[in-house]
Amino acid sequence: MFKPLLFAALALLALPAGAADVKTLLKEADAFRLADDSARVETEVRVMKAGKLDKTRLYAVYVKPGRRSLVVFRSPSERGQKMLMLGDDFWLVLPTSQRPLRITPMQKLLGDASTGDIASLTWAEDYDGKVDGEQTIDGVPCLRLDITGQRKGVSYPRIVLYLAKNDRRPVHAELYVASDKLAKEADFRFGDVDGRRQVVAMVLTDRLQRERLTEVHYLARAAKTLGDEYYNPAFLIRADIEN
Amino acid sequence: MKPIIVLAWVLGLTAVQAVADDAATDLAYKTRFVGEAHGLRADTVFAPGVPLTSFGRDRARFEQEARGRVGPVSLLLTGTFSGQQGQHAAGKPLANEAYVDFGSGENRFSAGKKILSGDVGYGFRPIDVLQREVRLQALPPTLEGIPSLIWERFTADAAWSMVWANPGYGRRGESRDDGSLALRGYRRWQGADLHGVARLSSRYGSELGAAISTVPHESLELHASFLAQRRGERFAPLAAPATIAQLLAPDQALRTVTIDAPRKLLAGFTWTTERGWSVLGEAWWDGTAPTAGDWSTLARQAAQRSALLAFPGVPAAAVNGSIAASTALFAAPVRTRRGQLARVAWTDPAASGWSGSFDLLRTPEDGGWVATLAAGWEADRLRLDAGVRYFGGKSESSYRLMPEQRVLFVGASLAF
Repeated sequence: MFKPLLFAALALLALPAGAADVKTLLKEADAFRLADDSARVETEVRVMKAGKLDKTRLYAVYVKPGRRSLVVFRSPSERGQKMLMLGDDFWLVLPTSQRPLRITPMQKLLGDASTGDIASLTWAEDYDGKVDGEQTIDGVPCLRLDITGQRKGVSYPRIVLYLAKNDRRPVHAELYVASDKLAKEADFRFGDVDGRRQVVAMVLTDRLQRERLTEVHYLARAAKTLGDEYYNPAFLIRADIEN
Repeated sequence: MKPIIVLAWVLGLTAVQAVADDAATDLAYKTRFVGEAHGLRADTVFAPGVPLTSFGRDRARFEQEARGRVGPVSLLLTGTFSGQQGQHAAGKPLANEAYVDFGSGENRFSAGKKILSGDVGYGFRPIDVLQREVRLQALPPTLEGIPSLIWERFTADAAWSMVWANPGYGRRGESRDDGSLALRGYRRWQGADLHGVARLSSRYGSELGAAISTVPHESLELHASFLAQRRGERFAPLAAPATIAQLLAPDQALRTVTIDAPRKLLAGFTWTTERGWSVLGEAWWDGTAPTAGDWSTLARQAAQRSALLAFPGVPAAAVNGSIAASTALFAAPVRTRRGQLARVAWTDPAASGWSGSFDLLRTPEDGGWVATLAAGWEADRLRLDAGVRYFGGKSESSYRLMPEQRVLFVGASLAF
């Protein structure tokens, strides 16, 4: 008679620790990507084709709570471009026409690494879902989270995310586009940043195009809080932020 | 411009580049080449005047661009060396932008020469009352800013700016060079962008406009724009009936017509897919554009002028010159009052660098059209473009009357 109760108790214990609270798991994982709520992140994107470096792009990314991100394009070929993301709304400024141009979430997906890959540095604000078992990835025991976007503007409506069981660091992610097609897989590299273990690079393997790999390197992070006016689309044409 | 001045400009840009290591200097450079091959229409009614115009002449330009900041000054400098078939090439250095942005918190200021584009449309922009950007050009040159003093005030979701454009000037040759005072407003409301503008100038009196842009679906963007002017102007052919003396006077070939209270209106959408396709549709009305009647009058007067060549004593130079002068109407930024634009574009979502587009602009008022097919490829620092543009339509439509039938264009730019 005790057996069913014992099995039930064991089953509960066997559940991943944070299974009941995916949000908490995501927040723990986010802390490995972005330690500060408001920050400036210098990002370098290296696009590899057939194992050879094809393109390099530089970005300065400013993030602020409230799902606000500002991406300043720093490469010579993209100089003068800026992209602003406020929740589900997106604007782009092109150097050929100095005016904020409203774009759709679909448009921001285009590019070497979509701007969403660069500007979205957290999951907890945008995703929710369930713990869907455990799996070992590259020898690391992981929790498998199946999470879906809670708003229309997310770059990937569905992500299967693998977090290390011991410290909840992100290890691997499968990124699905709106048609539920696997678009990219992400692997995370870690390093010591100001005494903390942080993600220093995200490697995106394109599953829609063979032999294409994108490395997103986080070169520098600094706590920085820009005023609210900087996240106003009309402010994008000003030079107060680096051009 | 003399080559020595161009050389000095290039050396100046190089000198600017030389101090780029300075922490206060942050510039990016781009070299651009654009070539165009223009094909004349064999049956053009303007044939006698065409040799005096740039129609049908192949042309090329080579641009050197520096963009960024030197100390507190934001700069966009270009040196252009351009030429066309049958003429000597010439150089032109230009400070497209040179301004200082300053201020803090909600109040911000700008002083200097700055690009002031506005509005929400692609093919037509009614409330772009300051920059007055010419749209739908193939591989256009870099925009030139407007000398201005600006006071701006920002909150998280609203902004307004007071712009004194071309300070100290009144009416000048081009409307974009006129002195004017403008108030521009912006507000985010219910997920939509709302824009407003009011402008005062001696040429148009008061102008009042508004625009909206919104994204109701992850793939769909909708936009609309409206402008009301106290008065407007348009170029038109010589009033009919014209005397022989008028027909033979090049400086009377076109006249400026004042329009009372014209309106401009635009509505459009963009549909984007995750496969990299986008479809844009726009329709507009421009009460300051030439009418279908203007174009048929222009063609009729060109035929009348050509007919005068048969009469003894009529100087061919006057006929040819008058016809050539009348073709300036083809430079109107909007050809007829009604316009419809469809654009299909594709950018490889796998980021191979390839992109392509097809544009079809129709002018329902006179039955004309212009179609443009273009392709581009972009690598790390190199971008290549190529395309072809065809003009056609009913016999008396603006695009069919144009002395050119097609333009082939290629472009290459290298960033460093």
